[in-house]
Amino acid sequence: MQRYLVSRVLQGLLVIFLVSVGTFAMMHLIPGDPISLMIGEAHITQEQIDLIRARWGLDRPLHEQYLRWIGNMARGDFGESVVRSGVPVRTMIAEAASVTVTLNLVAFALSVALALPAGIVAAVRRYSLFDYAIMVSTTVGVALPNFWVGLMLIVVFSLVLRWLPPFGLPGWQGYVLPVAVIVSSQLALLARLMRSSVLDALGEDFVRTARAKGLPERRVVLKHAVRNALLPIVTVIGYRLAFILSGTIVVETVFALPGLGQLFIESVNRVDYQVVQAIVLLLSVLVVLGNLATDLVYGVIDPRIRIR
Amino acid sequence: MGRDDADALVIEKALRDLPATTRRAFLRQAALLGVATAAPVLIRRPVLVTAAPGPRRGGTVRVTGHHEISSLSPDDDGPSVHRTIITQIHNALLEVNEHFVLEKVLAENYVVSRDGLTYTFTLRRGVRFHDGREFTAEDVKYTYEFYGNPANGTVKAPLYTGIDRITIPDKYTVVVRLKEPNAAFLRRVATQFIVPAHYHSRVGERAYKGAPIGTGAFRLKEWRPAEYTVVEAFDQHFRGRPHIDQFREDIVPEASVRAIALRTGQADSAVWPLLAEDNLRFAADPNYTVFKTASLAVNHFPLNNDHPVLSDKRVRQAMMYAVDRQRLIDDVFKGTAVLATSNLAPSLQPWYNPNVKQYPYDPARARALLEEAGWRLGPGGVRTKDGRRASFTCVTITGDRARRPEAEVVQQDLAAVGIEMRLVERPVATILAQLPKGEMDASLFNWTYGGTGGEPDASDTLRSDAARNFSRFKNPRVDELLAAGLRATTTSQRRRIYHEIQAIVAEEVPFLFIMYWDWYNIFSKRIKGLPTTALQGDTALYRLAYRWWIE
Repeated sequence: MQRYLVSRVLQGLLVIFLVSVGTFAMMHLIPGDPISLMIGEAHITQEQIDLIRARWGLDRPLHEQYLRWIGNMARGDFGESVVRSGVPVRTMIAEAASVTVTLNLVAFALSVALALPAGIVAAVRRYSLFDYAIMVSTTVGVALPNFWVGLMLIVVFSLVLRWLPPFGLPGWQGYVLPVAVIVSSQLALLARLMRSSVLDALGEDFVRTARAKGLPERRVVLKHAVRNALLPIVTVIGYRLAFILSGTIVVETVFALPGLGQLFIESVNRVDYQVVQAIVLLLSVLVVLGNLATDLVYGVIDPRIRIR
Repeated sequence: MGRDDADALVIEKALRDLPATTRRAFLRQAALLGVATAAPVLIRRPVLVTAAPGPRRGGTVRVTGHHEISSLSPDDDGPSVHRTIITQIHNALLEVNEHFVLEKVLAENYVVSRDGLTYTFTLRRGVRFHDGREFTAEDVKYTYEFYGNPANGTVKAPLYTGIDRITIPDKYTVVVRLKEPNAAFLRRVATQFIVPAHYHSRVGERAYKGAPIGTGAFRLKEWRPAEYTVVEAFDQHFRGRPHIDQFREDIVPEASVRAIALRTGQADSAVWPLLAEDNLRFAADPNYTVFKTASLAVNHFPLNNDHPVLSDKRVRQAMMYAVDRQRLIDDVFKGTAVLATSNLAPSLQPWYNPNVKQYPYDPARARALLEEAGWRLGPGGVRTKDGRRASFTCVTITGDRARRPEAEVVQQDLAAVGIEMRLVERPVATILAQLPKGEMDASLFNWTYGGTGGEPDASDTLRSDAARNFSRFKNPRVDELLAAGLRATTTSQRRRIYHEIQAIVAEEVPFLFIMYWDWYNIFSKRIKGLPTTALQGDTALYRLAYRWWIE
């Protein structure tokens, strides 16, 4: 177990290093820089552009810029945004992340809480009315683009009914529609996965044995089938955890939520190096940690994996 | 314009030109005693004033912007979304109003020496910054010297390079001496917002970007760059406390959501334009006050004038004839634009030149011009000359939903006369960096070639060596005219010069000038105190928030 853990951690570090080099190279190979955008239509000379670039160290050789950046990152200094200058990138990310994490954790918890029982019931009562209802509604949930669902919810609940604000976070009400959009798309994925997974398990020999032993159906399903059906679900949950920080760009844009997705998109558009690099690196760390955590949870659920 | 509108305008102007104290007194008297007693002293025709109830105090005006407010410093007041707030917090010596007229704000008066080199400003007395300190000549000198110093890494440093020295003979007098005459000095430099010397020098520019202090009618209350920014009424403002308590700008990236917010009353106005169909819908709705003004930026295709295909003037002219620009306006922009004739917008009345070479839609003429230039039809319907195909690549902005369809229509129009225009997308930062270097053939966006703040100079985009010469346009006569235009002292001299520049641009077609978009500024009817007419919209209207009230 220990050797397994150490090798996984080392692999993770390698991934993070490669991501950092890749992101840095990509950002700096894009022609154009934040300065040319910042000045907009202002009257400016090339000399002044060069002077501002030098001020931000953008005139130094690339490898030198990389080493300085990665060194600072390792010490927890995320640098400063060129565009929103004077504000540490760490503060920007922390502020934006709190919105995104709240939004996604609530949506994710709600999705899991609804999807697991729905999937189980749909599997047990296969081809029942309930099963069809779940299958149809989840198919629609997956098929409709978040962008459109978001706008339609705004039209219905903000414009027509006037129950909820069309944008922003004036209070908890601001979270209702965005959470609904995310749940509608995640619910579908999880519920369908749970259903097919439980169906598979119900067809296994050990379920037949359990039934033959005369166990009540309730115990057969919950103790034997569901527990075994959980493995693929845990994989998906672990994998979705990384998306808790990054997966909601569209929703944040439609509902004007000042989250990480929006910060990321705006920063890419204005080539704000420090911010983009810091966010990508942070996400890669999260993906690595998410995978590591999934592997460990596997071990808890299925002891056979621990031994290998 | 009806007679009532004309009257209201007279009163509007009369009020604007009064000194602040008189104006406040007038409004107070008007409210207390009824207008009949106060008005005859000031205005000949008081009819309209009696009809209007007095301004009410209180409330919050909410507007929406489309991207984050990353700074509140005067150095970063370029984007409309920034300037909408920065103009509430700060004032300048002179400010350009919604009719392109220079208004005296922090300057009570100014005198220009006969040689055009010395500007003497007499400052308004008793003006206070938000921290209570008095505004003096020292602050003007400090502001111009700080932002004018290239070593401070400010974006606006090049604006001030023509200044020789600034002296302050007394607390309320500023004398600016220029190295050479500059006709654009008042509109470009004297309109820059003033920061407090004592405060700015202590905290520095970086901190100032998030914690500005000015003389404006509102002071900063809360700045959440990606979410909202709120400013609140400043009690000691020299023009009197504004009627509204707060002015707030929410950041809403999605245009259709901004329109819904305006519809539900969640917002009172949208700083950045909505979609064309929403604009038209609001314009037809009596519950909204709508200002339609011509944008100053021309919607155009910059063309690399060094490109082997595009370097021939006849090819560029042929492209102008080949594009059905009116159809673009009608089909792609639902009629909300006017045809461009050259580099200046028709709304710039004193400078606009309508008598230039015209390019009606005429594909036959386009083909004839291409034949004349030696481009013969080749395989696939694309013309060739000396083994080269009449082909180039146009780079549009990534995700630009408004202009991409426009590029596609133009692509078809050009194909019809035998020119191939390939379309690719790149981020805007890349386009702005590569285009002036000649690393791209063509692009499509809106940009001003003179006209900002009513100033016709276009040295930063049309001069051969300009940093923002997107088309690599090199014309010695235009260079000469641009230099002469800044040296000229009378309006009639200048008008001749800028008329000639427009004629040359229309003849040479350095870029395909397509149209000027109509700029819509939509306000909820509950906002009162808005001007009756405007020649320029955008931040020139939000600048007037100190006069608004909510009904």
